[in-house]
Amino acid sequence: MMRRFCAAALAGALLLAGAARAEDTLNPPHWQSEGLLGSYDKAALQRGFLVYQTVCASCHSANALHYRDLEGLGFSPAQVAAIASNVKLASGPATLDDVFKTPYPDSAAAAASFGGAVPPDLSDIVAARPGGPDYVYGLLTGYGTAPADVTLLPSHYYDAGYPGGQIAMPPPLKDGQVSYADGTQATAAQEAADVAAFLAWASAPNLDAAREIGLRAVLFLVFLAFLAIATKRKIWRETA
Amino acid sequence: MAEAADTETMGHGVAVPARRDFLKILTIASGAIGAGALVWPFIDALNPDADEDAVARPIVNVGGIAENTALSVNWNGQPIFIRKLTAQQIADNQFIVPDTLPDPASYADRVKPGYETFVVVVGLNTGVPCEVIGNDPADARGPFDGWQCPCDGSVYDPLGRVRGGPAPRNLAIPRFTFLDDSQIQFG
Amino acid sequence: MSSKISKPAASPWVETRLPFLASWRAHFTAPVLAPDAPYLGTLPTLITAALVFMAVSGFVLSIHYDPGQGFASLQFIDRDVNNGWLIHAFHETGTTMIFGAVYLSLFRIIYTRAYRAPGEMVWVLGVAQFALLLLVAWLGELLTDGAVSYWSLAGATQAAGNFAGLPGALGAWFFGGPDGPGTLARMAVFHAMLALAIFGIVALHYAARRAITPPAAGRVRVSFHPYYTAQYFVAFVIFALIFAVLVFFAPHLGENRLNLAPANPLAVPVAVTPSWYLLPIIDVAGAFPAPWGGTAAVIARLAVLFALPWLDRSNPAKPGGGLYRVLVVVLAVDLVLLGLVAGAGPSTATTVLTVVFTAYYFLHFLVLTPLVTAMEAK
Repeated sequence: MMRRFCAAALAGALLLAGAARAEDTLNPPHWQSEGLLGSYDKAALQRGFLVYQTVCASCHSANALHYRDLEGLGFSPAQVAAIASNVKLASGPATLDDVFKTPYPDSAAAAASFGGAVPPDLSDIVAARPGGPDYVYGLLTGYGTAPADVTLLPSHYYDAGYPGGQIAMPPPLKDGQVSYADGTQATAAQEAADVAAFLAWASAPNLDAAREIGLRAVLFLVFLAFLAIATKRKIWRETA
Repeated sequence: MAEAADTETMGHGVAVPARRDFLKILTIASGAIGAGALVWPFIDALNPDADEDAVARPIVNVGGIAENTALSVNWNGQPIFIRKLTAQQIADNQFIVPDTLPDPASYADRVKPGYETFVVVVGLNTGVPCEVIGNDPADARGPFDGWQCPCDGSVYDPLGRVRGGPAPRNLAIPRFTFLDDSQIQFG
Repeated sequence: MSSKISKPAASPWVETRLPFLASWRAHFTAPVLAPDAPYLGTLPTLITAALVFMAVSGFVLSIHYDPGQGFASLQFIDRDVNNGWLIHAFHETGTTMIFGAVYLSLFRIIYTRAYRAPGEMVWVLGVAQFALLLLVAWLGELLTDGAVSYWSLAGATQAAGNFAGLPGALGAWFFGGPDGPGTLARMAVFHAMLALAIFGIVALHYAARRAITPPAAGRVRVSFHPYYTAQYFVAFVIFALIFAVLVFFAPHLGENRLNLAPANPLAVPVAVTPSWYLLPIIDVAGAFPAPWGGTAAVIARLAVLFALPWLDRSNPAKPGGGLYRVLVVVLAVDLVLLGLVAGAGPSTATTVLTVVFTAYYFLHFLVLTPLVTAMEAK
């Protein structure tokens, strides 16, 4: 009952937030926030959050994120409140001001679940890894059978996108694992691209604001520079 | 030293500022605007941050409150009671004429539209300062099935309106909003 | 407004009670300056203004920063403090801007040989500011508690612990022993105190500079206000424009990207290298004999810089030859290459190149400069 309510609430939220078609941006994956003036694709962020909440949040923490931050994905405050209240914390349902739920009470419990490999916190993972969202996408889509000359460590999997090739995380994404409200087909690659976009946002939620303010600031300063140069020349023409 | 003619006179004898002065004024004004825009983020950074806002305006989940019981939370050092009314309590209190009460208030004054089964009051007696009791159905609630003050005997109805005893006013209502039907944000 | 020699006092009441204001006003309005001062001359004032900006942004950051939480504290500032990300970016990018201006200023002074008599005191005070700035910048990087900063601090505290005698005592005094829970708080206090101490040296530096600058000798002389006020305003706006582009579009330019990950005591990053401005000074680990070779090399580099006015054997009254200027450009190239090599991380090739470039650095100051300048027109 609760599960259906959760899924319905999330799907409903996404539907309300607007439908968007995902282009075939997966080969190679394209990040709308790349480049000097790029901004986040909010539809991809919302899909990515759905993947994160369904798949990743069961093992990974994101201690720098609060549920109230999700308004940056384009959700309304009521939708965010609904999303938060679907999360069960030890003290009851989560509120807007709670930190994203930590799946393990401490890192020792986390290490015990994975034979010593603690799932890293994902708040800043895109900023911390060279390659950013490409790294996350490559890691999630790089799983495959190990080549003949590679001996897998126990409880490890072969992942061409992970440094060293052997990762302790089991392949997390499958086709159709979530159902996107905006109708985008949820292939494993699409899910990987969306969650990578979401994690890129998580690392830098103020990117859009920075670029918007920055554009205005630079244009203003260019204008001011012209004024300053013109004033200086006028003043200096008074010199004897 | 160049003697610059810095004003021109038009036909009607009024001096017009020279182009250099206009340019200077425009430059200085733009610079001042830029400086203000630069200073503002520093000042705003000292305003309460998001976590302080969270403490100042906490969110409480009220979905789990059973009928006829009240949840007690602490906000700004005061006890706040959130009670869920039964249909009987609503029926008994909905149509009482406000003028017959010691502190006139109608049913609509005491609840939020759309969420009429919830009553949110500050749990402090308005007579002798004392925390009123009656959150649990087993408590002594007084004759109106609301709250009762153990210090001076004032009694209140389930909407928090004073009905008897020395207290002059109804229980105070704090500032709050319903985010949805199970979450209240104070402040 | 016509250009008078000096404007009347805006407020005679204030100026009779605070007479230094009157002398300031006279200083700004006395026509003692040559009319052809280049824009590069505005650099010292730009640096000072940038330092003030850093102090203000640092003050706001310190209100929200918790050295016990380190990295998590900066995440809090970036996400939950109003405009915290902007103040943080101001402080980060301001460092790049200051060092860009400082290196440019240093290059200009060395190229034009303004460090010669009677400017030795100005030079020494300037290099003192540079050395302090490097230390303050390194301390600031430690406060980010990132993966690289953690190991930079661990390396420094271990090195200090390995020294014997007086250097060891100084190291223990500065770091308070091995890297532990209280170290970051200590580094934060040093960061702020040394940054404020720089302002004292700025004041001395300015006073020394004024003492050696005579009134202009030409036929045409102008006052600072409004002529150079206008020029400085242009310089400020251009500086602010470059700053804005970096702050909003490339706030981590020149930093070690690996430092954006949280500190991890269990894993050493591939390259424990600092931001670009520290690269020409900090040696690649292992390029010089442990335990004190690296520290000695840093101190020696700064020492020869301090000694430059006395290593230059030319006649201060004569302008100096072109060969020296070529050598200065080669030195600049050498330092850039040294920075690139240091940023590439430790390997055999980079170790060899580091030694080669450092050797050339010392060769320039200790051998080439005295030789070439002594050979100039006597």
